[in-house]
Amino acid sequence: MRRFKLRSKRQGGRIILSALVATLGLLAGACGSDGGSGGAATTTASPSTTATPTTTASPSTTDAPATTEPPAEFRVAIVAPSASNDLAFTQSIVDGVAALSGVTEVHVTDGTFIVDEAAAAVRAYAEDGYDLVIAHGSQYGGALELIAPDFPDTAFAWGTSGNTFGLANVSAYTAASDEGGYVMGAMAAALSESGVVGVVGPIEVGDAKLYVDGFVAGAAAQDAGVEVNVNYIQSFSDVALAAEAAQGHVANGADVLTGTAQMVVGATGVAAEHGAKWFGTQANQTPLGADIVVASQVYKWEVVLQGVIDGIKAGDLGGEAHEINLANGGLVIEFNDAIDIGDVKAVGEAAIAGLGDGTLTTAGPPAEFRVAIVAPSASNDLAFTQSIVDGVAALSGVTEVHVTDGTFIVDEAAAAVRAYAEDGYDLVIAHGSQYGGALELIAPDFPDTAFAWGTSGNTFGLANVSAYTAASDEGGYVMGAMAAALSESGVVGVVGPIEVGDAKLYVDGFVAGAAAQDAGVEVNVNYIQSFSDVALAAEAAQGHVANGADVLTGTAQMVVGATGVAAEHGAKWFGTQANQTPLGADIVVASQVYKWEVVLQGVIDGIKAGDLGGEAHEINLANGGLVIEFNDAIDIGDVKAVGEAAIAGLGDGTLTTGS
Amino acid sequence: MSDFFTLASLVFVVGSGIRLATPMLLAGLGEAIGQRSGVLNLGVDGVMLLGAFGAYYTILETGSAVAGILVGVAVGLIMGLAYGVITVTFGAEQGISGIGIYLFGLGVSDLLFQKQVGTPLPIRGFSDWHIPFLSDIPRIGEMFFQHSVLVYMTFLLVPVVAFLINRTTFGLDLRAVGENPAAADSLGVSVARVRYSAIMIANLLAGLAGAVLAIELGIFQQNLTNGQGFIAIALVYFGAWRPTGVMAGALLFGLVSSTVLQWRTLGIVSGAASSLMAMAPALLTIVALVVISRTVGQPSALTRPFDRGK
Repeated sequence: MRRFKLRSKRQGGRIILSALVATLGLLAGACGSDGGSGGAATTTASPSTTATPTTTASPSTTDAPATTEPPAEFRVAIVAPSASNDLAFTQSIVDGVAALSGVTEVHVTDGTFIVDEAAAAVRAYAEDGYDLVIAHGSQYGGALELIAPDFPDTAFAWGTSGNTFGLANVSAYTAASDEGGYVMGAMAAALSESGVVGVVGPIEVGDAKLYVDGFVAGAAAQDAGVEVNVNYIQSFSDVALAAEAAQGHVANGADVLTGTAQMVVGATGVAAEHGAKWFGTQANQTPLGADIVVASQVYKWEVVLQGVIDGIKAGDLGGEAHEINLANGGLVIEFNDAIDIGDVKAVGEAAIAGLGDGTLTTAGPPAEFRVAIVAPSASNDLAFTQSIVDGVAALSGVTEVHVTDGTFIVDEAAAAVRAYAEDGYDLVIAHGSQYGGALELIAPDFPDTAFAWGTSGNTFGLANVSAYTAASDEGGYVMGAMAAALSESGVVGVVGPIEVGDAKLYVDGFVAGAAAQDAGVEVNVNYIQSFSDVALAAEAAQGHVANGADVLTGTAQMVVGATGVAAEHGAKWFGTQANQTPLGADIVVASQVYKWEVVLQGVIDGIKAGDLGGEAHEINLANGGLVIEFNDAIDIGDVKAVGEAAIAGLGDGTLTTGS
Repeated sequence: MSDFFTLASLVFVVGSGIRLATPMLLAGLGEAIGQRSGVLNLGVDGVMLLGAFGAYYTILETGSAVAGILVGVAVGLIMGLAYGVITVTFGAEQGISGIGIYLFGLGVSDLLFQKQVGTPLPIRGFSDWHIPFLSDIPRIGEMFFQHSVLVYMTFLLVPVVAFLINRTTFGLDLRAVGENPAAADSLGVSVARVRYSAIMIANLLAGLAGAVLAIELGIFQQNLTNGQGFIAIALVYFGAWRPTGVMAGALLFGLVSSTVLQWRTLGIVSGAASSLMAMAPALLTIVALVVISRTVGQPSALTRPFDRGK
C-alpha cells in the first residue's frame, strides 16, 4: 500500500499559500483529468489524500491481515517538469513508479520547469528522508550533481541520461527511444498517403532527439520517397507553438504526424482537426484522440526502477546507469485497435522484431556535414556555378548544402565565405578563381574549418584549404576536333569570358583540337572581358556568324546569350561546364560536363577523418571528372567517332592538348 | 586591322551597335522624361530586370511575344506607380529610393526566376523584319533595315518622345515642373500629376527595355541587364536630357562596344589590350559626361521633392 502526496514547491510553512496552491492544483487536475488517466489525476491532485494520515499507508488502514508484518516503509519522491497527467514525459515516470512493488509512499512535485525550483524540491525531499528521490529531467543534472553529495545516505535517480557523475548514490536512467521512433517512423511512412510526414520536437537533445532521429531513420528505411519534415520548436512547454508547428506540417501536405515531449498536446489537436494520424511516445496518447492516435511508444520505467529500488533496500544506493528498450520490455509499442491500419501494423511488428533480433538498427541519419557554396552566377546557369552545385548534390555524406550565388562582386563573396565559416559549416567552397585573394586572408582565421576553392591548383600553403581545377583543355580538345570536322564553312567561333582559369584552358584546348583535326579550319576567339554580359556574348556570337562561322562554342555563364544566336542562325554549338542541351536540343552537339564530385568526395572523406585540406585536385577525362555528353538527338555522322577517338587518344596518352 | 576595314565587317559593326544600343536607348528615353520632370530614378536597372523576367516568363508560358511585351510594360507601370508614391506622394529622397528599387528588382527577378523557371530555357521572340525595298539596298539595308521590329519601334520613339517633350502642353508642363515646380504650381500646373505621369512613362519604357532585351536574347538569366539601366542613366546626362542626344549616346556606346567586339573576333586585339579595350565604352562615356556637364545644365529641380506648403 502506498500513499500519494502533493507537496508545495516552496517550503516555509506558508499554509495559506499552500492551500491556495493545492486548491489550484486540484482545479487543474480536475480539468486535466477530463477523460484522461484516472491514475494520473489521483497522483497529483489529491491533497486530501496525501495530507491526511488516515489515507496514508499507516498500518491501521492497510489491507494486509493483522497477523502479517506491514511492509517496510519505502518512500519515493518525484520531481518532474510538467504535469503528472501530461500523457507524456512526466506521466511516464509517475506511472512507472506507481507500478513498482515495495513502495509505500510516493510524493510528486510536478510542473517545475524552472530548474532552481526543482533543485529546492529535490533537496527538501532528501532532507525529509525519502528513500529515493527521482529528478526526472535531463535539465536537472547540474543541480543534482551538487545536491547528491550532501546526502550520501539518500538514493537519487535522474534521467533521461546515462551519467551518474561518478556518485555512488546516483542512478541514471535513459530510454532507447530511437527504437520506438524507428518503429513509428516505419509505420508512418507506410501509412502516409500524401508521402509527407510531420514531426514536432521540443529541443534537439536527450530522448527527444533520439526518438526523432529514430523516427526519421525508420521512415527512410520503410520508404525513402517519403518526406519527413522535422520541426524542433525549441520549447518543451509551448503548446501553442507546437500546434502551429503541426499546422505548418499539415499545410505542407503531411497526413501523418508525430511528436515528443509534453507540449505535443497542442499538435494532437491539430491532427484531429485535419484528420491526420498521430504516433505518440513516452506515454499512451490514445486519450488525446481515439480516432487519430495509431500507436504509442510507452515508457515502462518500472523495468529498471524496480532493480534500483531493490538495490537500495539491499544497501546499494546507485552508481549505475540503466536503459529501457524494446528488448527488456521497458519500451512497449501499444497499438490503438480502434483504428484499422491494415497491413501497417504488420510493418510495425516487423520493425519491433527486427530491432529485437538485431537484424535492424536505428542507425539514424548520417552525422551532420554541412557544405556551403559561394559562386559568382546563378545556381542553374547551365555552366560554371551549376557544375559545382550539381557536383555537391551528388556527394554522399553531406546533410546540408547552402548556396550563395550571384556574387560577382568579390567583396560580397568574401563576406559570405566568412559568414559560413563563422556559422560552423564543415566545408566552405569558394567557387571562382577570382575569390582566391580573399580566401587566402580568410582561411587562416578559421583553422578548424575546411575550405575548397577553384578553379585553381593553389592552396596558399594552408592546411585547411583544398584547391580544385579542371583539365578543361581535354574536353576543349575533343570539342575542337569535332567542331573542325563538323564545320562546312571552315570557320568556327569561340566566345570566352576573360583569358584566365579553366575558360582559357578550354579555349586553348579547343583551338588545339580543331587545328589537329583540320589545320585549314579558321578558329576565331573572342574573349568579351566579362563573365556576366549576356548581351555582349550574344553580339560576339553574331560577329562570328557574320564572319562565316557555322559552329560555335563558348565557356562561362554568359554564353546563354550566344546559344540563342546559334539557334537563330542554325549554327551548331559545343558546350562546356554543364550539359547545355536544354539551351537548344537541335543545336547543342555535345557538352563537356564537370563532375566535381569525383574530387570533392575525397575532400569530404578526408575532412571527416580529420584532414582539412592542403592539397590540389584535378578533374579530367581519365578520372571521370570530365565527361563528354553527346546529344543523340542530333545526327553528326562520323563526327562523333572523331570525338570518341580524341577521348581515347587523350586517355591513353597518344594525344596531348599542348596546354 | 585590314580585316576590320572590310565592308562586311563594318556593316556588321553598325548592325551590332544598333542592336546593343536598343535596350539602353529605350530605358534612356524614359529616364530623360522622368528627369525632365525633376525625378531621378536610379532604379532603372531593377525595373528593366523585372520587365525582362515578366516578359520572358510570359513568353515561356504562353508562347506569345506580344503578351510578353505587354507584361513588360505592365510591370514597368506598376513599378512606376510605386516609385511615384515613394518619391512624389511621400517625398522620399530619390537617390536612396532608386537604389532600393534597383535592389528590389535585382532580387525579386532572380528569386522568381529561380523558383518559377530554374534552368534557363530559350524562348522565341520576333523574327527580324526585313523592311521591303529598304532592306534590299546593298550594305545600307543590312545595317539598318534587317532588324527586329522592336529595334525599329525603339528608334521611332526618339522623335515621338522629342515631340512629346518639346511640342506638347504636357511637355511644356514637364519642363516647367523640372525647372521650377513652384512657378509651375503657381500657374495652375499640378506638379504631382505631371511627375506621376513622367515617372509612369519612364518606368513603362524601362520595363519595355527589359522586355526587349529578354526577347532579343531569347533567354533570361540572373542580372540579365548587367548594368544597362545605369548606363541608360548616364546616357541621359550624355545626351543633355534630349532624346536625340540620348540616342546619339546610345549609338556611340553601342558602336564602340561592337567595334571592340569585332576587333576581338578578328584577333586584332587580344590579351591585356583586349581587357583595356573592354573599358573603352565606359571611358568614352565618362569623358563625354565631363565635357557636357561643363556646358549643359541639368533640370534645376532634379532630385528635389516638391512640397506646396514650403
